[in-house]
Amino acid sequence: MNRRFLIGTAVTMTVAGGFAQSNAHQQLERGLAFWDQRLAKSAIVALETAARDKETAAAAHEALGRIYTFKGWQQESAFPGWHDEPALRERAVTELKAAVAADPSRTSAQQALHVAEGFAAAEAVDPAPPRPEVRTLDAKLLSYQGRSDAPVAEIVTAIDARAKAQADPAPYFTGAQILIDRGEYDRAIEMAQKGVPVSDRFIDENLSAYQLPGKSQGSYARGRSQAADLIGWALFLKKDYASAAAKLEEAERLSQGVDFANQFHLGELARAQNAYDRAREHYLNALSLAGGPAPLRQRATQALAVVAGDKAAGGLDAWLGPELARRQEGRRAAALRSLVDRPLPNLPLTTVDGRPFDTSGLQGKVLLLNFFASW
Amino acid sequence: MPHLKTSYAKYQNDPRVAFVLVSIDEDAKRLERYLNEMKFPFPAARMTPADAERVMKLDNTPTTFYVGSDGIIRYQVVGTESHGDSPQRVAWYIDQLKTGK
Repeated sequence: MNRRFLIGTAVTMTVAGGFAQSNAHQQLERGLAFWDQRLAKSAIVALETAARDKETAAAAHEALGRIYTFKGWQQESAFPGWHDEPALRERAVTELKAAVAADPSRTSAQQALHVAEGFAAAEAVDPAPPRPEVRTLDAKLLSYQGRSDAPVAEIVTAIDARAKAQADPAPYFTGAQILIDRGEYDRAIEMAQKGVPVSDRFIDENLSAYQLPGKSQGSYARGRSQAADLIGWALFLKKDYASAAAKLEEAERLSQGVDFANQFHLGELARAQNAYDRAREHYLNALSLAGGPAPLRQRATQALAVVAGDKAAGGLDAWLGPELARRQEGRRAAALRSLVDRPLPNLPLTTVDGRPFDTSGLQGKVLLLNFFASW
Repeated sequence: MPHLKTSYAKYQNDPRVAFVLVSIDEDAKRLERYLNEMKFPFPAARMTPADAERVMKLDNTPTTFYVGSDGIIRYQVVGTESHGDSPQRVAWYIDQLKTGK
């Protein structure tokens, strides 16, 4: 009886041990895969679990060390809005030392430690280039630009393959533009829509890389604005002007009116609706902004010549120069005045009959604050 | 400003959202008449034009600030928008902030 009980216990323990081991291996695999996709938060959670198991400790600590090395020294501008996180540099070295301690014969960990210590001693470290695999998939996707012969299914496959390799939204937005150029508007809209939750998640997963809440907010808005603009542009090309206006204006609010492509698209929409005054404003806004590919800037200038009317009677260039300068100056002044992305200051408010106005009930709420005058 | 009343209808029972009007009127009597006439279902407060200019860099009315639950100003809309303010537009800003992004 007693003996059978012992055997039973032993079997149970072996099963449990085997389960723990496979779980640790699973977490290690998951962590490495997440990191390949640059989903840092999920990668770190999985790898920290794997690091607690003796079987996988060395590999997991090494992977964590490599992540923190990247974050500490090599992620400046790796994606829009990303900055190095120097606070994690010490952590990188600690993790890599833990990897070597867990398995002194692990040469990859020794090499990674050597690299991190080299970075720590260096004056400056260059940002890490994209993984070769991602670069190849990006090149493949971009090769469809301006090609009217490639089957659409092939383009969609290229988008999906790139999106699977790395979790940033770029392939969806690049892909949507390629599909628009091919006249595949509905598929383009679908791709741009897919990009929105992908963009949000990518930022969530890498929040600390943005350093400041204003920067991550800006990136959320950029992703959404890019998607809204692409969808609006596809709808415009489908001649669904009402829906196009809704999306293009949404993109304008998200981009605070300072995105070249969006202003150009709004100009094209207004022109198609024969609203020349509005078209003129958008084209002028677009051209007063930096950026935008040269062919699009040229198209905006040509369009402006059409909608300028007698305003450009003295020659387009003579009119354009001061108009653009005035807009740039106005934007500079507005930026200096704008309180966007800043904390709401303490407000010296009174009630209408002159007593102090209690703002404590407003804490933690989404607030609409409308300044007005009844005159 | 009637559009603000219409906009508010959607959020009047939402404890996570607040509307506050800030008048920079200097003529208190005139302001009171206006508020009595409009009967806004949310509070109105006052600030002097000088304070509004100093604290909020206000240089035009109406100006609407949309503030996130973290206390950060996320959108600042000056004047009425090119196609007129609409309740849908106001709701768009608020719903953006309610999702926290």
